[in-house]
Amino acid sequence: MNRRQFFRTCAAGLGGSSIAMLGFSPQPVLAQVRGFKLARTTETRSTCPYCSVSCGVIMYTLGDNAKNNKPSIIHVEGDPDHPVNRGTLCPKGAGLLDMIHSPNRLKYPEVREAKSKEWRRISWDEAYTRIAKHMKEDRDKNFITKNDKGVTVNRWNTTAMLASSAASNESGYLTVKSARGMGMTAFDTQARI
Amino acid sequence: MTQRILEPGEIQGGAVADAPSIRLPELNSLFSDRAARLRQIAPGHALADYLLFVAAIGDAQQSALNNMQTIPLPVPMMLEQSRAHGMPPLNAIDHARDPAWRTVLRTLLGDLEKKIEGIARDHVRRLAGEPDALYEAQADRVLSAVTAGLDFGYAPLVAAGLQVYWVHQVAALGLPALIPLDVPTVCPACGTRPVASVARSGGAAGGHRYLHCALCATEWNMVRIKCSDCESTTGIHYFGIDGGANAVKAETCDACSGYLKIFYMEKDAQVEPTADDLASTALDLLMADAGKMRSGPNLMLFAADGE
Repeated sequence: MNRRQFFRTCAAGLGGSSIAMLGFSPQPVLAQVRGFKLARTTETRSTCPYCSVSCGVIMYTLGDNAKNNKPSIIHVEGDPDHPVNRGTLCPKGAGLLDMIHSPNRLKYPEVREAKSKEWRRISWDEAYTRIAKHMKEDRDKNFITKNDKGVTVNRWNTTAMLASSAASNESGYLTVKSARGMGMTAFDTQARI
Repeated sequence: MTQRILEPGEIQGGAVADAPSIRLPELNSLFSDRAARLRQIAPGHALADYLLFVAAIGDAQQSALNNMQTIPLPVPMMLEQSRAHGMPPLNAIDHARDPAWRTVLRTLLGDLEKKIEGIARDHVRRLAGEPDALYEAQADRVLSAVTAGLDFGYAPLVAAGLQVYWVHQVAALGLPALIPLDVPTVCPACGTRPVASVARSGGAAGGHRYLHCALCATEWNMVRIKCSDCESTTGIHYFGIDGGANAVKAETCDACSGYLKIFYMEKDAQVEPTADDLASTALDLLMADAGKMRSGPNLMLFAADGE
């Protein structure tokens, strides 16, 4: 017998429980339970994506990914344990649930070609390839290897990068490594706005 | 749930106060609130008779607590030692109980006997006639979570006396004597496991989760979405009865397969952990079926199957 069994309340145990010993019947609750089933909610910590304050939020998801039970976010609220916002949110952050379920939400990469009026859906592969091509073209054209005194500087001043305010230390580290590696000098995170 | 929205200027003014890390029980109404809550829930409930019996215990507990005399606290050196080692000052397992607790229990039983009938009353009468040695032996088992030799009929009654004694002593000790322990999963006053969690509403504690001690009703803060037994923060899920009350969920942990209920005061402001835990016994039965192990006791119900 360990502590955990001591705390246990199960159908087999109710017959010899305090309820029965003291002359009360556990039968109604045992019968009742046969008609019940469990529903699962998950609470997930996240960061509000809107501004550089990076408030902590808790997202409530209903459903367990079982058949015909697609999980859906049912509620978003400020995280009371988060040191930045301590459970509060601004009016915009308080409307996060509507943003999540908005029909206008951007869910995949799109491109509007030069001189076109239409946005066209493209694959992630195509999007990355296009971005890489644009970056390489610009970098090849404008890369500065030496300054006017002849000192090697390896600068790429014509493209800038803005990182997310919700990025962790680790992704911040990787951002610096990749951007600086290409010689990029102008980059910042939104958390600094 | 309500969402607090800050107005311009409030952030600079420090509008959001620190939540207290430890909350002491309301001495004047802890047990009477519990009794009132049980009577509120009982009509139409599958365990109505038992809930009303525990409500009668609650009334007797409140009256015993109101009439309690001062009992000596551990000497300052002992308290200092507990503090230095991060141990609870009134540790349920090894605290030398003052014999006065038995007087409290005998008074409580005498009071209770007049308000109940049937087999329960016979039990109360029989316990009232038992010797002190039996009280001590049963109390040791209740406090150290040992079922071998524990009389499940006596246990809630003995526990009722112990609760009154511990609530009284913790209140006498006072909040300044308590500090958060190194082990955040047991009560900082008496080292007992919590009966349930409460996500409070309103004021500085609003939205914060407190674990509610099964013995002395002291509450201590633990961040949300964290296993209150093994402290894992991943694989935490919340199970409720489909179509049932929103205010009660079983917080489960994939890491240790344990669970403890959490009550959301924003969904039901009248929640009282011990009462609502008893009233949601159906959820315990479903969780046991799902193979989850409960991680804290309710001293008003002993139901271990001795596996």
